[in-house]
Amino acid sequence: MDGEGTNKISKTAQKKELKAKHKEEERLRKAEEKALQAAASCAQPKGKNAAVDDEEMDPTQYHENRLKYIASIENAYPHKFHVTMTDREYLEKFGGLENGEHKEDITVSLAGRILRKRSSGTKLLFYDLHVTPGGWKVQVMADARISELDESEFSRFHSSVKRGDLVGISGFPGKTKRGELSIFPRSFTVLSHCLHMLPRPKPERGVPENANLEIAGGWVPGTPRNLETYTLYQETRYRQRYLDLIMTSEVRQVFKTRSKVVKYIRKFLDDLDFMEVETPMMNMIAGGAAARPFVTYHNDLNMKLVMRVAPELYLKQLVVGGLDRVYEIGKQFRNEGIDLTHSPEFTTCEFYMAYADYNDLMTMTEEILSGVVKEITGGYKVMYHSNGLDKEPIAIDFTPPFRRIDMVEELNKMANLNINPKDLSSVEVNTYLKEACKKFEIQCSPPETTARLLDKLVGHFLEVTCVNPAFIINHPEIMSPLAKWHRSKPGLTERFELFINKHEVCNAYTELNDPVVQRQRFADQLKDRQSGDDEAMALDETFCTALDYGLPPTGGWGLGVDRLCMLLTDSQNIKEVLLFPAMKPQDDQPPTGPKTAGA
Amino acid sequence: MDAVRLWSLSSQPLKQLIRTTTTRLVVRCCSSSSTTTGGLAPKAGGRSRRLSASTSTSDKDAVRAIRLNKVQELRSKGLEPYGYSWDRTHSANQLQHVYKHLENGEETKPEEDGVSIAGRIVARRAFGKLAFLTLRDDSGTIQLYCEKERLSDDQFDQLKGLVDIGDIVGATGSIKRTEKGELSVYVSSFAILTKSLLPLPDKYHGLTDVDKRYRQRYVDMIANPEVADVFRKRAKVVSEIRKTVESFGFIEVETPVLQGAAGGAEARPFVTYHNSLGRDLYLRIATELHLKRMLVGGFEKVYEIGRIFRNEGISTRHNPEFTTIEMYEAYSDYESMMNMAEEIVTQCALAVHGKLTLDYQGVEIHLERPWRRESMHNLVKEATGITFNEFGNDLQGAKEVTLKNLGADLDYKYKSSIEACSSIGHLLNEVFEIVVEPKLVQPTFVLDYPIEISPLAKPHRRHAGLTERFELFICGRELANAFSELTDPMDQRGRLEEQVRQHNEKRSAAISEMDGAEDKREENDESYEVTLDDDFLTALEYGMPPASGMGLGIDRLVMLLTNSASIRDVIAFPVLKIQQ
Repeated sequence: MDGEGTNKISKTAQKKELKAKHKEEERLRKAEEKALQAAASCAQPKGKNAAVDDEEMDPTQYHENRLKYIASIENAYPHKFHVTMTDREYLEKFGGLENGEHKEDITVSLAGRILRKRSSGTKLLFYDLHVTPGGWKVQVMADARISELDESEFSRFHSSVKRGDLVGISGFPGKTKRGELSIFPRSFTVLSHCLHMLPRPKPERGVPENANLEIAGGWVPGTPRNLETYTLYQETRYRQRYLDLIMTSEVRQVFKTRSKVVKYIRKFLDDLDFMEVETPMMNMIAGGAAARPFVTYHNDLNMKLVMRVAPELYLKQLVVGGLDRVYEIGKQFRNEGIDLTHSPEFTTCEFYMAYADYNDLMTMTEEILSGVVKEITGGYKVMYHSNGLDKEPIAIDFTPPFRRIDMVEELNKMANLNINPKDLSSVEVNTYLKEACKKFEIQCSPPETTARLLDKLVGHFLEVTCVNPAFIINHPEIMSPLAKWHRSKPGLTERFELFINKHEVCNAYTELNDPVVQRQRFADQLKDRQSGDDEAMALDETFCTALDYGLPPTGGWGLGVDRLCMLLTDSQNIKEVLLFPAMKPQDDQPPTGPKTAGA
Repeated sequence: MDAVRLWSLSSQPLKQLIRTTTTRLVVRCCSSSSTTTGGLAPKAGGRSRRLSASTSTSDKDAVRAIRLNKVQELRSKGLEPYGYSWDRTHSANQLQHVYKHLENGEETKPEEDGVSIAGRIVARRAFGKLAFLTLRDDSGTIQLYCEKERLSDDQFDQLKGLVDIGDIVGATGSIKRTEKGELSVYVSSFAILTKSLLPLPDKYHGLTDVDKRYRQRYVDMIANPEVADVFRKRAKVVSEIRKTVESFGFIEVETPVLQGAAGGAEARPFVTYHNSLGRDLYLRIATELHLKRMLVGGFEKVYEIGRIFRNEGISTRHNPEFTTIEMYEAYSDYESMMNMAEEIVTQCALAVHGKLTLDYQGVEIHLERPWRRESMHNLVKEATGITFNEFGNDLQGAKEVTLKNLGADLDYKYKSSIEACSSIGHLLNEVFEIVVEPKLVQPTFVLDYPIEISPLAKPHRRHAGLTERFELFICGRELANAFSELTDPMDQRGRLEEQVRQHNEKRSAAISEMDGAEDKREENDESYEVTLDDDFLTALEYGMPPASGMGLGIDRLVMLLTNSASIRDVIAFPVLKIQQ
């Protein structure tokens, strides 16, 4: 991490770069798409393929035609379709058929979305049916001779079936002479219509376009992804995630992976007799972390409420109440800018474990993270585009144990400084750190509190070295208002942060449970707040009173679930792992005025 | 991790466990801690016991001062009153179980069968050279049997002078069943792990103040261990729901809490403002519309367990934030969701109670399947004799018959709400809510709601004017709401537009009514804006498979299964009015 200033500069530069990249991407894509369409219409003589004709139509016209068609038919949206088999079962059961073999005495029913339609005249059509997300695709060979419909009905019906429609098919299994496992429909029902022209899918990596019953999308968690092969523009993918999910099986895999990650963590904690709890998302005071909260208002109670920024203070109250091991997986909300690693709402897992300390938690962190990587990828290494999509991906190694870096000790060594943790509250230290930052050209935006200066230095010297998982441990007390003083190192706390790919993923400590010291720390925070640091933590008297009743020695731990998911899915943008990420309002016009070159 | 592993072991050599007790002799290194002032003599064991029974502010302050002195005294002896960690071999409950065979007066050999436990002291009796302490942990309680001779050096004096009720201590020793039959840890060494500064409330008088119970839930849990049980059961219910739906192949997803438009239900949303986006955002009032987008995207079985927010009044049944599960299954209809509801509720009941007959506030509830399934029309007819089908579109006639039928002594509130109904469907529902709902004590699926009050449900395949929708009622309360989902985008657009139109009508009527009484405007129910979620409609236009969906209120299910009268009893930190 650079200093705040350079950070900002590089962020705007990054944004500009990204914008330009998008524009260029868009231009290329449009050109490409035109070329593709042209090729398709050239390759196939007019009149032979109605599907292609349709897709040359103007989208508004296409939509209107579809609406007209829907209005002309009875019961356009059936209530139910009975599915007898999943795609996987279908493959397992009938994958072994001989080429050309048909099982006409068996009837199966499958349902899914049509992503490809080819016709071989009016009496024979081929469809690619996508059954389950990230699953297989099944070829449908619709033959007028087999259908329940007569020939003219058949051709009329199938000319109305469009790419994107959801269909239910009952028929018999068989293999074509060329050896493709197919389903031969006797009845073919459109269950729901796609009223818009679906974008043409790009062939996915590892899946030849005409491959049948191949695993759709060769991507598995832990391997690199190539977003450039995706059909849709990035903006569309985030705004219309359902389209993204329809078009790209990798995306479906990403969210399945996310679901598995959460499931693994939950199971890990449940197996250790942790109890899952729910604490309020709306509070009177936003405590437990230093962040700007969302404010809302309860009309009936006539009361201002803030959205939580961390569940920490409530979870510790439950430990005071006698629940020795509690955890909560849930959303936190911070009213901050949106960037590649920050979203206004994000998911964390926090757990609190009575009678454990930060050493215990470091071991548990290693077990959880290496465990989840092993469970999902089969190994300990994850391939990740750490240096941008245009560079080779790197391997991040989750093999435990993780490196441990003593913060002040290592900082002194690497920057050749002489910071004494015992005396960090003095003005001299503050001046010393300001000079150090100046010397290394690390910018720290005001207020230049000692805590903030130290944070910048750590970012510059230590965090950047943490590509494989590494613990930065023993933070100074002034940086950690809720952590317990170190049992043998004066001025420091028993705290660690886990960094992976230079980003913080976990934060944990032996919890401060001395109410007198806790109140003192809040008072110190207030001083920072008064000196202009609006991210300093506010005093929560309810919480301090709970400490008066006695919090047992406790280890507390927080994990950024989204960031962990990013690492496992080769995602550089947090929006890749959020189903419906927060976006700017669409009607927002780009800033007016002359367009600057390159923007 | 040691602590984790040791937790599950039944016996462990004691020597390794002494580690933490000896490292407790840590000298404080942070100067900010020594802020307490000396003064009062710390020899006040008897006095503090008297004080711990009372909770008035001045007494509390006195106790706090005394105990802060004990903190000082401990530190002056080189003992840290706020320990770092403690390795346990057993929980109290495990000990009770493992050593249940021990005869009265029998003791295990300390060198072979040493145990280590930790927890809060909830009772103590001290005699000359003997002290009995009751220790409680997450699992239960056990007695600490402390004898002066067994303890090293001046530990017994520390125990008598410095340990108060409420302190969290760790203790090691052997196991002995006293002559009176009480299983005890025969303590050979102990450490104060956390010195408590405030007295615990008296079990019988301390927390009669209901409001305080909710405001200081942790005190409630310390004083009444059965309160913690409710939350243990809640965790079990949520876990059981997850297990059940995942066994059917459902995948858990997370959809946004902060949204540009709050849809999927009719309720006043919370509004907030995102500084850097420079726009208002709403807190979700349902997860429905985003989960349906997942079905459009190709997921066939999805669910989300999560918080929903409604900016409405609080009551024994309503908290502004509450937890639901919503689930959606492609290619199925509402019949399949009825089976799912039965499956979920019975599995949870079995997980919590081990049986399907339970007591709720004095009423016996039978959850054996199958549950009654009856249409709303039939239930209303059964209760009132009115056949709503016969009215056709004659709303006025229907109202007259209804009012006559329900009798002259009907509450004015109900009369006016009947008068206000804008359609036969609304009227039917109103009568249902007044007459039928409170009587649905045993589990009942109420089927086929009028289309006017079901904007997201599919029209019934056989009965015009109705939808394929059900609500599940137990104990007169709605527990679940489900339908065959409306998939026709044109129909959906029409219904949502109608909903917005009706809302705006009510809103402007309400606002003009309010013009006279300015200060009441804020409290008006309809004074919020409802907007159309166009993106959801576009998603439907890409095609959503036939599907059924259900929402089930987890707080209400937990209330039922824990026999809790108020939603505040099942939410750890409920929203409360600002304290006077």
